[in-house]
Amino acid sequence: MIEVKSLSRHYGDFLAVDQLSFKAKQGEILGLLGPNGAGKTTTMRMLTGYLPPSSGTALIDHHDIVRDSVETRKRIGYLPERVPIYPDMTVRGYVLFWAQLRGTKEAKSRTDMVLKQFDLYTRKNTLVRHLSKGLKQRLGLAQALVHDPPVLILDEPTIGIDPQQVIEVRDVVKELGKQHTILFSTHILTEAEEICDRVLIIDHGRIVAQGTPQQLQKEIYSTQYYVQVGGGKTADVRALLQSISGVAEVSAEKDGFLVKSTANEDLRAAISTSIVSAGYTVLEIHQRRSTLEDIFLAAIKAAPGAQAGKKAKR
Amino acid sequence: MDTLTIFRREVGSYFTSPFAYFIAAGFLLFCGILFARDFQEAATQTTTINPAFIPAVISFLMVFFAPLLTMRLLAEEKREGMMELLLTSPASESSIVMGKFFSAWFYYTILLALTLLYQLVLFAYAPPDIGHTFLAYLGIWLYGGAMIAIGLFFSSLTENQIVAAFLSMITLLILYIGDAAGQVIGNIDIARVIRSLSLQGHFSTSFQVGILRAEDVVFFAGIIVLMLYLSIRTVESHRWR
Repeated sequence: MIEVKSLSRHYGDFLAVDQLSFKAKQGEILGLLGPNGAGKTTTMRMLTGYLPPSSGTALIDHHDIVRDSVETRKRIGYLPERVPIYPDMTVRGYVLFWAQLRGTKEAKSRTDMVLKQFDLYTRKNTLVRHLSKGLKQRLGLAQALVHDPPVLILDEPTIGIDPQQVIEVRDVVKELGKQHTILFSTHILTEAEEICDRVLIIDHGRIVAQGTPQQLQKEIYSTQYYVQVGGGKTADVRALLQSISGVAEVSAEKDGFLVKSTANEDLRAAISTSIVSAGYTVLEIHQRRSTLEDIFLAAIKAAPGAQAGKKAKR
Repeated sequence: MDTLTIFRREVGSYFTSPFAYFIAAGFLLFCGILFARDFQEAATQTTTINPAFIPAVISFLMVFFAPLLTMRLLAEEKREGMMELLLTSPASESSIVMGKFFSAWFYYTILLALTLLYQLVLFAYAPPDIGHTFLAYLGIWLYGGAMIAIGLFFSSLTENQIVAAFLSMITLLILYIGDAAGQVIGNIDIARVIRSLSLQGHFSTSFQVGILRAEDVVFFAGIIVLMLYLSIRTVESHRWR
């Protein structure tokens, strides 16, 4: 549904997006994850037709964003980072305006439908300026959805609203992901983990890692095991664990040890066997999952040229 | 179609914000005071009533009021981030700019229509020449459209409404006094060029005195088309930056 082909964008000398390529299937929620200034907003602005790419292109529902801009714009619902509003319009007037401007069929009934969907119908005659920040965010989503676009592009939709509203927005996005292809940017890692089917980690305009949140955990970060051993002196057990092939590092933690593996293979069997054959007992052993946060930092560190790009930051 | 959607929203916003009412009140107050004075003079002395009096007043008032009407049109959209959503909708740049222009011109037309009240007063006491009145109003209507188009252009250049208002006010003032400057310059050819470039020069000696000349209509229409074209190009240029 979205197919990005080596998309690049310069601002003067600064390379904001560098040869980005990715795809999103129909009904997929794709997360763009990266620190501020990583190129998330620039990428989204190019896909929505607000900024022309310096080079490369992208297809939205088989339409080229450069050659066929108007057709792609019809197929996208966009929620910018800051929801722009006309303060003097009513809630209904605002959504209806966007519906009409985007050529929605039966704009009025469609408007009422999305207002009901986002619980704004009871406030349809309220002036937009009187809405709270969370409600404005919902209004932004209603606006993006009113013409029923196959693709939704949401730029950090959970910034600056309270935790209750964040949860609401996340639930809404998850629900929408069943029918729409969603490109969703965030710099909050747990959010990407919770919502997205697939995550692209970008930094300095390049993809540094991608995959499902589960895949990323496997691929990038070495697996860790927490092991608690009954019997034996600490130093002896540590030496024993260290001697197992595939173990990179052993450190003491609480009442047990944290064992890091070098490769991405399951060491639990090997660990328990050697402990038992040395005459000790295994009290506890479990694999410790790395969080997306760890993955993120590891990915950024591992990416070549990550340091070089820093000077050019805006 | 998109132009109409933008136009309707924009006109709606004129009538839902107090700002537009303040402008209208100020505008009509000025016209009213000056009309009352002129009317009184005509009644007590033996000067004749000039049906183009109010249009002539407006030609000067609009130097200051047109920028107030137009400064927010595009500048505010950019500052509030609305331009980002507008440009990512299927609406074209020209429909955005035209919708905005026609809404401001429509609002001005309503203001102008309200001043017809003074002509009604004249009809009650000293019926003016209808042809003269009509031409003066047609002239000031076109003149106002050109001024609004100029203001719109400056609004497209900046995100700052004050800057937009200031630049268009200065420009309109120069285009207003160009008429007088043309009359005091010794060299007749230079004077003629300056006068024919000024907005006022196409009003004060034609429409205002009840003369219809094609060149004046073309001049005002040309300014409108040129300014709209430049505004559209400026809005488009946001995409290439």
